[in-house]
Amino acid sequence: MYGYTGKILDVNLATREIKERPIEQEWPKRYLSGLGFNIRLLFDEIPAGTDPLGPENVLAFGVGVLVGTTVPTASRTEASALSPLTGRWGTANSGNFWGSELKFAGYDGLVIRGKAPAPVYIWIYNGRADILPANHLWGRDAWDTVREIRRQYNDEGVQVAAIGPAGENLVRFASIENGPFDAWGRTGLGAVMGSKNLKAVAVRGTGPVDAARKKEFLQAVQQTRQAIFSSPFYGPFSRFGTMLASLPYQEFGALPGRNYRLGAIEGWVETRSRKALPRYTSRGVACIACPIACAHWVEVKDGPYAGLKLKDLEVTPVIGFGAGCDIGNLPAIAGLSGACQRLGMDMVSAAAAVAFAMELYERGIIKEKEIGFPLRWGDEKAVFTLLEMIARRQGIGDILAEGTKRAARNFPEAPRCTAEVKGLECFLIDPRARWSTWTLGYITNVRGGDHLRTRNPVENLRYNENPVPYLTEKFGFPEDMYEKLDMPEHLKKEIFDPVTKDVNIPKMSKWAEDLLCVYNALGMCIRPPVLHTVGPTLFSRLFTALTGIAVSPEEVMQAGERIWNLQKLFNLRHGEKPEDSDFPPRFYEEAAGAGPAAGQKLDREQVKRVLQEYYRARGWDEQTGTPRPEKLAELGL
Amino acid sequence: MPQEMVINPGKCTGCCTCALTCAITNHDEFDLTKAYVSIARNEFAGTFAITFSSLCRHCKKCALACPSGALRVVEAAGA
Repeated sequence: MYGYTGKILDVNLATREIKERPIEQEWPKRYLSGLGFNIRLLFDEIPAGTDPLGPENVLAFGVGVLVGTTVPTASRTEASALSPLTGRWGTANSGNFWGSELKFAGYDGLVIRGKAPAPVYIWIYNGRADILPANHLWGRDAWDTVREIRRQYNDEGVQVAAIGPAGENLVRFASIENGPFDAWGRTGLGAVMGSKNLKAVAVRGTGPVDAARKKEFLQAVQQTRQAIFSSPFYGPFSRFGTMLASLPYQEFGALPGRNYRLGAIEGWVETRSRKALPRYTSRGVACIACPIACAHWVEVKDGPYAGLKLKDLEVTPVIGFGAGCDIGNLPAIAGLSGACQRLGMDMVSAAAAVAFAMELYERGIIKEKEIGFPLRWGDEKAVFTLLEMIARRQGIGDILAEGTKRAARNFPEAPRCTAEVKGLECFLIDPRARWSTWTLGYITNVRGGDHLRTRNPVENLRYNENPVPYLTEKFGFPEDMYEKLDMPEHLKKEIFDPVTKDVNIPKMSKWAEDLLCVYNALGMCIRPPVLHTVGPTLFSRLFTALTGIAVSPEEVMQAGERIWNLQKLFNLRHGEKPEDSDFPPRFYEEAAGAGPAAGQKLDREQVKRVLQEYYRARGWDEQTGTPRPEKLAELGL
Repeated sequence: MPQEMVINPGKCTGCCTCALTCAITNHDEFDLTKAYVSIARNEFAGTFAITFSSLCRHCKKCALACPSGALRVVEAAGA
């Protein structure tokens, strides 16, 4: 096959059976690869009633078909399983070099089932795989594990997906670390590895990826490069990375300060925004084939964190720990970010769990004697200690390791202090202060409370109008960005107001979710310079020339819609109810505090209305949010 | 005008676009082991070492593809 290796590696840790299974003939056109292959495989293999931490759960890694080529930002791999945090579809996406290495080793994906009787790691090298003892790795943090495996093979090019102590101890939001500094972070997939006694998957490959129509493919690659370079976001993103978002959310009052009670924080710009970042960062660091290099090498040269080196300081830990726990300096936040990487925990959920505990402490719901020390806002040492306790399930850390939804059941009054949707901690932006496609995404997202599967490709962070009804957000870009947006004209006319160009949120959500399924299926990065400029037309050209399988732009988007619907069906099978697609009570009942959004709450009726409009746009039942039979028939599901 | 390649290793971001481009240009497939330029990534140190093989055909396609400015094509000095 062209583009694909044509094989998925299937490893049973219980029986030690290792198989290669060919990808089904109709899969490329219907599911593309990556996320699409994962949901197609796991939908059939994970029945209702499966214990996410039992041997019957199945973990899949799906590499995007564009990965391993020069398609700019094609570096990404989707990891998926039944989530131990949410009990629903668990899925996370990561770049770096692991996925390309798996492809060079001969596989489009990896499926892991069963439980090993003792700690093991999987070693994959050019078309063969071994299950090897990992007693010497068990107990080590993720950084040490990556170092040790590379030392064993005397090869810095070995790519390692590893868990830290949190995964071993079945922390429900444990991550799978992708090398030292990247991760499949969300939904607790590290705990699935831990439950299987699987410490790591180490990969090395030296094989090729072939293109069916080389000349056409390279032309399409060049068009994609030019599109990305033409984005007004290309320069700023190369320079500042995700920290670009650190200023607008302070200005909107949409920070989750002190567990969603301070929307704006005094001194934020000087201490925790991108303006404070250059003191600690230097040149860009890229994933394979990425021209943006949004990560910036961090080196702390003085103070208590002197010597700390990281690939990047992203906005995620800055908002999570910097706002959520009110940690007031970037070196400490970098240290906490590194701690999550070493311990192997999702930074969003870990920071949310700590902020939740800090609020309970402030309210007197938990006492110093239950924690072992005071847990005050801004106390970085306390946060470091609590992270270790969570990862090792010590003391109160054992309760917090269950995730905030389960943890809250242990304390009276605590459920109103959580910010989670479908059991997944929200992504640290306050929906009371900024209503947009992004925030509707918290409740429509098949994996739970974040926006990362619903990015409006023309989201404009200069505006925050929060109109009532909650049906629109401002476009506000020059006309040529509207003209260039790769979307069929008839849809543009439906989604954008003909005069103001305001964006219809429910209709854009449907488009954006399908588009992001395509991104996560093909292995592309969703950073704004790409998401703004690369759509179904370019994907159709790239895919067709690489694989030799003709797929139209419409078929590309239909594959995305099919993937989204199948994920929804997975959730329905595993017990998702209509009321699960809703914000936590806090956002309706308590007003946002401090900053320009102070006093704002979400309106239940408005949210209900916009959700119904979204279901209608999807062709789903407007009351229950269930895909209608005719929609499933249209998608061939 | 004659052209030459300028190398500025400090600007390398480690993306390996140069090596992937070399492989598809000279060997018709994306195979990093066949590329005449390679990037040795030391992830923990955040350093990337650029090495050219003696088989390099000096087509400069790697530099034309490099997005970071680590490899650049310039007009030859004194030409």
